[in-house]
Amino acid sequence: MTSYFIRRFLLIVPTFIGVTILVFAVTRLVPGGPIERMLQEAAMAGSDVAASTSGFAGHGASSLSDAQIDQLKAYYGFDKPVIVGYAEWLGKVVELDLGTSTRYSEPVWDTIKDRFPISIFYGVTTLILTYSVCIPLGIVKAIRHKTTFDNLTSAVVFFGYAIPGYVVAIALLTVFAGNLGWFPLSGFVSDDFDDLGTLGKVADVAYHAVLPLIAYLAGSFAVTTMLMKNSLMDNLAAEYVRTAIAKGMAFRRAVFAHAFRNSLVPIATSFGNNITLIVTGSFLIEQIFNIDGFGLLGWESLVERDYPVVMGILVISSLLFMVGNILSDICVALVDPRVKFGSGESSQ
Amino acid sequence: MASVGECDGNPHPVAVAASEREHEGQQFARRAVQGAPARLLSVENLSTAFDTEAGRVTVVDEVSFEIDASETLGLVGESGCGKSVTALSIMGLLPRPAGSIVGGRILFRGEDLGAAEALRLQQVRGNRIAMIFQEPMTALNPVQRIGRQLAEAYTLHAPGTGRNEAKGRALELLDQVGIPAAERRLTEYPHQLSGGMRQRVMIAMALASRPDLLIADEPTTALDVTIQAQILELLRDLQRETGMAILFITHDLGVIAELCSRVVVMYAGRIAEQASAPALFANPRHPYTRGLLRSVPRLEDDPKTVLSTIPGTVPDIHELPTGCRFANRCPHAEDICRRRAPELEETPVPEGQTSPVPEGQTSTHRVACHRWRAVEAV
Repeated sequence: MTSYFIRRFLLIVPTFIGVTILVFAVTRLVPGGPIERMLQEAAMAGSDVAASTSGFAGHGASSLSDAQIDQLKAYYGFDKPVIVGYAEWLGKVVELDLGTSTRYSEPVWDTIKDRFPISIFYGVTTLILTYSVCIPLGIVKAIRHKTTFDNLTSAVVFFGYAIPGYVVAIALLTVFAGNLGWFPLSGFVSDDFDDLGTLGKVADVAYHAVLPLIAYLAGSFAVTTMLMKNSLMDNLAAEYVRTAIAKGMAFRRAVFAHAFRNSLVPIATSFGNNITLIVTGSFLIEQIFNIDGFGLLGWESLVERDYPVVMGILVISSLLFMVGNILSDICVALVDPRVKFGSGESSQ
Repeated sequence: MASVGECDGNPHPVAVAASEREHEGQQFARRAVQGAPARLLSVENLSTAFDTEAGRVTVVDEVSFEIDASETLGLVGESGCGKSVTALSIMGLLPRPAGSIVGGRILFRGEDLGAAEALRLQQVRGNRIAMIFQEPMTALNPVQRIGRQLAEAYTLHAPGTGRNEAKGRALELLDQVGIPAAERRLTEYPHQLSGGMRQRVMIAMALASRPDLLIADEPTTALDVTIQAQILELLRDLQRETGMAILFITHDLGVIAELCSRVVVMYAGRIAEQASAPALFANPRHPYTRGLLRSVPRLEDDPKTVLSTIPGTVPDIHELPTGCRFANRCPHAEDICRRRAPELEETPVPEGQTSPVPEGQTSTHRVACHRWRAVEAV
């Protein structure tokens, strides 16, 4: 099994190269780019200046000479063929240098790093809340299948699932922040955050997090809850549970002593991927609540053609995703002794 | 139906094996009778129904039989005749909420299990009455070690047992059911064992609390023929050692002849015939039993002879006939068979034959057929 996981880790390298080369090539092929954006901005700035000072009218559009543009291209590495450019970029990544953001003119890593606390906070909180609600709820629903409780919670869970998160976000914002004023309109913390005490800081973060968290969570209960419920029901109907009861075990105890661990197998198959929660985040929800998380950063970097940031986010998210898959496999092997990865001695 | 006569003239070959078993069975029965009350389990007019989309379906209809201490009762019938549901009713393991006992009593040592509290049933299950199932592959928890599952069967009824004691008992049980390298097996998972080994583990689990009654629901059906023979042998040996009674459910008449002292034949939820094994094989009285016996291939048959079958199919459980349920397939059926359901009635031992009913047992030959005399005369 160890050799299997070593192989899996080694496979990350070619996969990573495949993913990044593809996106890198796309950033080169699509029209528009940092230079075009700068020219455009310069042009707009120029016309503003022209309008206000009525000096160099019509001079703005070509404020940069071709030589200057070529210079810029060379600066950003756009003068080289895709493959050479990619090799240079990859060489830097290996040295843990993700380049410089064309938009903020600061290292990409610094730009990304700033978003980590916010995204990790929302990611981990969502993860904990999702599992701590879904697993117990799924268990109760499986045991009380087709009762009022089961039907009612199903309705609630699927209602949340059916409504897009950003709609929930807007609705919450309008009602609870706008009309009622119970919660802040936006932001991760208050402006006076630095002046608050430790308790006050915690309270402030929680206060700001209530509405976004609800928006994030509304749709996330359905899948895991129903997975837990159905998988537990399958296992409750399994013969080994009948065997356990035939041994003289109480039904409730059989549920936890026997059926529960088996029903965690399908849940474990996706558990490792939760590591990607660190870098995910809905740009729509982040936009609505004005939270500077990963989703928003990714979105803005795309719109602004800030390719170094786009590539930087890709590096981190693709690595996390691949490690997440391997973690999932390890989780499955942990809960299910029948799973033997890769080796020839696997039984049946 | 000329071939029916064959059955009457010559005792069925499997009956020879049955009468040998019978002697052994009697001895143990007598031994046990002295201590405990003889009537270990008495099922009285048991009816079990399932609620389905198409309404309530009575799967077991007014079934009655008894099992004495240390005896082996065979319950035969084809798939869906209600034999497994009868067993699950006794164990209180009917799938809920669909299945429920709708009539009759299940008296275990005089106590009605059908009316017992859940807690009381837990004390009886696995302790006084144990059960093994058809599919040893799925009857064991795939993610728990054999040792733990075995120890659990023991500690559930002996709370406060220490770890080492439970492990020791688990080892003992594996030895008892003939599993080699028991120590190593304890730490293995079910998927690391063969089908026969798994069934042995199931049997070991069932034996954990030295039950009075073992219900074996087709325990050999899923196994290879050679393994089947080993498991039957094991069950017979264990019964000899422990003196437990066995309710053996099967569709295999050969197995009945091997193992059982008495037989109950079920058809479409009702008892068709009930007799001691030798009597049943020597004088099958119900046309269904006769058909079953004729469907068993025999060594002395000419090779490639077409095997006799019972024509037709079992009536749909949603539309059971008011009369005899076998009438639509029975070569002897008359008007009365379609009008009125036959009662289970006592039949006399044929002239010139000694009673196969062992002394001290109530096993008599009963048949639910209006026309058993006419059938007999054919």
